[in-house]
Amino acid sequence: MSVILKALAEFVLYAVLAAFAQNAVLSRALGVSHLVRLVDDGATGNGAFCLLLTVVQVVAVPMCWGANQLLTPFAYRSAVRPLVFLLITTAACGLVWLVYWLALGKKQSDDAHKEMGALLATASFNSCVLGTMLIVTTQSLTLPQAIGFALGSGVGYYLAVVLVAEGQRRLRNRRIPMSFRGLPITLLYLGMLALAIYGFTGHTLLI
Amino acid sequence: MTIEKARYWAENMTELSKNDRLWLNNPVIMQGVGLAPMVVAATSGYTALVLAVAVAVMLTPTRVGGAILRKALGEKYDRFAVLCYAFPAALCYIAAYFLVRHLWGPSALQQVGVYLPLLVFEPLIIRRYRAAVPEGPARALRRGLYTTVGYLVVLLGVGLARELLAQGSLMDVQLLDVQLFPLAAQPAGGFMLLGAVCAAWRGRVRAFKRNIYQEVERNK
Repeated sequence: MSVILKALAEFVLYAVLAAFAQNAVLSRALGVSHLVRLVDDGATGNGAFCLLLTVVQVVAVPMCWGANQLLTPFAYRSAVRPLVFLLITTAACGLVWLVYWLALGKKQSDDAHKEMGALLATASFNSCVLGTMLIVTTQSLTLPQAIGFALGSGVGYYLAVVLVAEGQRRLRNRRIPMSFRGLPITLLYLGMLALAIYGFTGHTLLI
Repeated sequence: MTIEKARYWAENMTELSKNDRLWLNNPVIMQGVGLAPMVVAATSGYTALVLAVAVAVMLTPTRVGGAILRKALGEKYDRFAVLCYAFPAALCYIAAYFLVRHLWGPSALQQVGVYLPLLVFEPLIIRRYRAAVPEGPARALRRGLYTTVGYLVVLLGVGLARELLAQGSLMDVQLLDVQLFPLAAQPAGGFMLLGAVCAAWRGRVRAFKRNIYQEVERNK
């Protein structure tokens, strides 16, 4: 019983840690290029994108945790890790697609399938997903910690998207100099948000 | 600038801007790609150089490989376009890993942490999968080289600037006794510095374009 409770506590702790104190975007800039584009391109559903990203991450991380255990005796494991994680991401992406197909496949039009496919590919092959898998393995987290971290990282990404989208809405202002509008002001805003994260982490960050 | 040159620029501004990956359409400044390694890992000239070598090894071969694979698979399998780019990127990463290890030893890999393998999924490297029409290998080679040069200029510039501002040194040579902006060594400082660089760069590009059009207008 105590083992289960300990695992549960670790899961929750790492989920909270990844969502706030070690936020994927604000403390590590993971997936920031996608985020800037996502927020700019209001047409894409931010919530759907982040949900898919989180689901793929949570599905992929246990597999990459297992694969990392198998890779441990291999001397140059760091060189092949991205290739192995790419295969795992592809499998996780396929699994999510299969579940979607079984649940909604026949009810949706071809255009909706195409849109979903494109969104799933962008959400899966994202540096936030690969970054989370790499952090989980390089920091030698246990399985409950790893799954918690993956879940928290996805939630943290969504929080960052919401914060940046709201920030951009308020920053659409004529008083902002022309050169600062768009990407530059978003980066400055992200810098200020990242500065707030130092309240949790201090000044050192394991990369 | 001569009036003939200004006229040529004014008439072909869109096409010239599209093709110029160094100044007018820089991948970082104008398109906002490749931000993560620059903001977190490129805290000094040395780490920026390590990342630059990896990007140079990965970007163009991935783009060419992706273009060839996508063309070979045909339109029927275009839904797997992302894999056409991600697999060559993962293979090129192996080459980049051993090259960095050979040039600077395992400590260099530790200094850039997860940001070297992260290049495999970086939009800078694999974003061409989103394009509706696949590009030809020759065009992929040309564009890949231009994009690499444009990215490396900003990456090295930001890395050196962050080292100078945070530590007062350049490539580990101490130049100043004071730390002008210690926050530059942190991701928050990286975001802010890059934001400021972006604003200044975009301002210069706007001024350049405005001057061209004014020059043409004056000589009508």
